[in-house]
Amino acid sequence: MLLDIFDPKAPPRAIGIDLGTTHSLVAFVSDECPRVIVDCNGKSLVPSVVYYGERGEVVVGDPAVSRAADEPQVTIASAKRLMGKGADDPQTRQFGPYSFIAPAPGEANVVRFAVRERGITPVEVSAEILRALKRLAEDELRSVGGAVITVPAYFDDAQRQATKDAARLAGLDVLRLLNEPTAAALAYGLESKQNGTFAVYDLGGGTFDITVLVLDNGVFQVKSTGGDSALGGDDMDRVLAEELLHLAGCEQSAQSPERIRVALDVARKVKHGLTDALEVEVENPFGVTPPTLVIARSRFEQLIEPLLARSGVACRRALRDAELSAQDLDGVILVGGATRVPAVRAFVRHLFGKEGLSGINPDEVVALGAAIHANQLAGLASSSEALLLDVIPLSLGIEVGGGVVDRILPRNTTIPAVARAVYTTQEDNQTGFEIHVVQGERELASDCRSLARFLLRGIPPMPAGLARLEITFRVDADGLLSVHAREERTGIEQAVHVKPSYGLDDASVEQMLMAAIDHGEEDLRARRLAEARTDARRMAASTEKSMAQDPELLIDGERESIERALRELERAVHGADIAALRGQIEHLDHATKAFAERRMNSAIAKALEGQAVERVEQRVEHAKGIEAAHEFKRAGVSALEDASPSE
Amino acid sequence: MSSDAFSILGCEPRFDIDLRHVERTYRELAKALHPDRYAQCSASERRAALERASAVNEAWRILKDPVRRAEALFALASVPVGEGKEPQPNAEFLMAMLEERETLSQARRDGDAAGVAAIAASVRKRVRSLEDRLTAGFAHGPCESRVHALVGVLGELRFCRRILSEIDEFDDFEKKGSP
Repeated sequence: MLLDIFDPKAPPRAIGIDLGTTHSLVAFVSDECPRVIVDCNGKSLVPSVVYYGERGEVVVGDPAVSRAADEPQVTIASAKRLMGKGADDPQTRQFGPYSFIAPAPGEANVVRFAVRERGITPVEVSAEILRALKRLAEDELRSVGGAVITVPAYFDDAQRQATKDAARLAGLDVLRLLNEPTAAALAYGLESKQNGTFAVYDLGGGTFDITVLVLDNGVFQVKSTGGDSALGGDDMDRVLAEELLHLAGCEQSAQSPERIRVALDVARKVKHGLTDALEVEVENPFGVTPPTLVIARSRFEQLIEPLLARSGVACRRALRDAELSAQDLDGVILVGGATRVPAVRAFVRHLFGKEGLSGINPDEVVALGAAIHANQLAGLASSSEALLLDVIPLSLGIEVGGGVVDRILPRNTTIPAVARAVYTTQEDNQTGFEIHVVQGERELASDCRSLARFLLRGIPPMPAGLARLEITFRVDADGLLSVHAREERTGIEQAVHVKPSYGLDDASVEQMLMAAIDHGEEDLRARRLAEARTDARRMAASTEKSMAQDPELLIDGERESIERALRELERAVHGADIAALRGQIEHLDHATKAFAERRMNSAIAKALEGQAVERVEQRVEHAKGIEAAHEFKRAGVSALEDASPSE
Repeated sequence: MSSDAFSILGCEPRFDIDLRHVERTYRELAKALHPDRYAQCSASERRAALERASAVNEAWRILKDPVRRAEALFALASVPVGEGKEPQPNAEFLMAMLEERETLSQARRDGDAAGVAAIAASVRKRVRSLEDRLTAGFAHGPCESRVHALVGVLGELRFCRRILSEIDEFDDFEKKGSP
C-alpha cells in the first residue's frame, strides 16, 4: 500500500461510484477485492448534501450537513430525486425546505433550486458530489481512470442522461452507467459463486428498485425490473416529520424552512432509533409543550405501510414479467439503508416467503459492485469476467394517431437493443412528420414521460399513406436511447440523441463546464486535448492488439493502410491541434472499419461453433444411450426405461 | 450477419424450436459480442460489436415470444402479417372470445378469483391448440403455399394472449395494497 502512495507513476485506477439520494460512496478493486474508500475520519459514506456559501464557496458532505439547520434553503439534500425532472414536477411542491425558480423563456425545462438568487440544477448539485468523491479517490489512489456510476434501475432516459451530464461536469470519464440492483447482484454473485434465480429488493433514500435476475456461470441475466423512482427512506422521514409536527400541535402547512429541516432531521433520528427500540422519545424541538414527543414502532409501521404496499405492487409485477413466482427464487438480496427498518424486512419475508439476504453491508454493496464492473471495463480484471445482461425498465415508443402510444421497445428488453417500426403519412401532401418519443407503460402519450419531439421535414408531397417512414430505436449498454428516422422513398434522414424534453442541451452543459473551471476556456481546451490524446492512445493500442490477435483476417494492403493511419495518429498526438487529432482518430477508425467487422463476424462464428460442437456431442451421447439400451435388451435386462435417454 | 432471427441464432426456421438450446446459443453469442468486452477497443470495433449484440438480443426477443416467432416465420414465407394485412378472425372465434370476455368482466365484478382462473385456464388451452397448429404448419419450413391458410391462427393467438395479459393486470389490481 505504501508503495502505491509513493509511486509517482501509479497507473490510473478505475472506480465505482454509488451516487445515492442520501449518501454517496466510492470504491475500487485492490488485489481482486473490492473495497470502499474512507476519508481521514474513517468514514465511507459521504452525505449527498451540498452547501452553497455566500462567497461562492461550495461544501459537500458532513460539513454541509452541519449547515443545513441554519441555512436550509442553500443546503441542498436529496437532489437525486429531481434529476431529469421538469421544472413543474409535483415533487417540487412536496413538503420540504426549498424554493424553486421557474425557467426563463428559452431555458431548458429542468428543476432549478433557488440558491442565493441563482438557479442551481440538480445536475450541478450532483456534479459537486461527484467531484468530492473523485477527490476522495485521488487522495487514496493518486490517479483515477474511468468510473462506473450507478443509477436506479427504474431511472428513465432523462434521469440517466442527467446523471451522465453531472459526471461530465465533474470531469469524470464514465465507463458505464450501471443499474444499482445489478451492481449489488454482481457483488453478491462474485462472492458466493452461486447459480440461481434472485430478486434484489433495493430500498434506498429516494428510490425503490426490484430486479429479478438469473445467475448462470458468470452471466448475470436480468429477467425483469421494476420500481418507483420516487419512493424511499426519505418518504418515511417525511411522514414521520409530519407526525412529529402534529404531535407538537403545529400546523404543518405554515412552517418555516428551518422548522421543516429540523422536523426531517429529528424524524430520521427517530427512524434509526426505532430499528432497535420499540419506542423512541425525543425532546420537543418545536416548543415547550409537550416537553417530549413519543413515537412507538407500531405507529411508525402504520405510517409507512402505504409506502411498503407501493413497493409490493412493483415486486409482483416484476415477478410476473419474469414469468416466475416467489417460490422459484433462490434468494432475495436486500440493498439500501432503508432495508434495515424491521417492518421492511418483515414485509419482504411475507412477500417472498423467505428471509432477505444482507451479508454484505446494504449501504456499501452497490459501490462495491460498481468497482468490480469498473475494473472489468478498464481491462484490469484478471479472473474470467462476469457478464451483465441488463434491460430497459420502461417501454419506449412513439405517439401515433389519436395520441396513442405505439411501443417500439417493450420494458424488460435486453440491452443493447435495436428495433424498427414503419409508419406512413396520414394526410395528402404531408411534407413533415412530427416524431414524439415517449417512455412509460400507459396507453396514451400524454400519460407517459415525454423524452423528445423532433420533426422530419422535406418529404415531397404525395398522397396519404404513400410515404414510408422507418423509425429506429437504439438503446446502448448505458440504457440511453437514440432515435433515427428515415423516409424510405426519398432517403431523407434524421438522427437524434434523445435529450431535450427534460434535459440540459449540450450548450448549457458546456456553459456550466466553463463556469466550473477556474480559467474557463483555456483550461477547457487543455482538458479536451488531454481527452483526445487518451482516446488516440487507447485506440492505437487496441488496433495493434487486434492486428496481432487476428492477422489472418487482414486482407491485402490493409495492414499497410492501417499502419500508415497509426503513424499519422502518432504524429498528431505529439501536436496540440485538437481538431487535427480528432481528424486522425476518425481516419484510423475508417481504416479499421472493415477489419473490425470481420473480427466481429469471426467472434460470432467461434461462438456458434462452440454450440455446434456441443450439439454434436449431445447427439453422440444420445446415440450411445440407444446403443446401451440395445445391449441391455440383448442381455435380457428389463430395466430399459432407466437406460434409455430421456428426452 | 444475416438478418432473420432464426439464422442469427443458428436454428431451423420452425415454430417448435428448442428454446432451452436456443437460449444457450443466445448466451454464448451475447457473451462473445457484449459491448463490455470491447470497452477498451477502437471505436470501429465497439460499433461493430454494439450493432451485432443489439441484433442478437433482438433475435432472442423474437424467438422466445410465440407471437413474434410466428410473425418472423410468416415473414420468411413472404406472407404479409401485421395490422391491416391479416384477415379478420372468423365469426365463430370472435363469438367465443366475446363470451370469454363477458364471463371475465362478470367474474371481475363479483371479485370471483376462481372464475377468473378458470377463464385463464380455458384461454391457455386454446393457446396450446393454436400453437400446435403453427408447429404442424411450419414443420417443413416457411413455405408460402403451406402456411398461407395459417395467418388466421396468428390473429387468434394474438387475441388470446391479449386476454391473458389483461387477466394478469387484473391480478395486480386485485392484490394491490395487501402483501
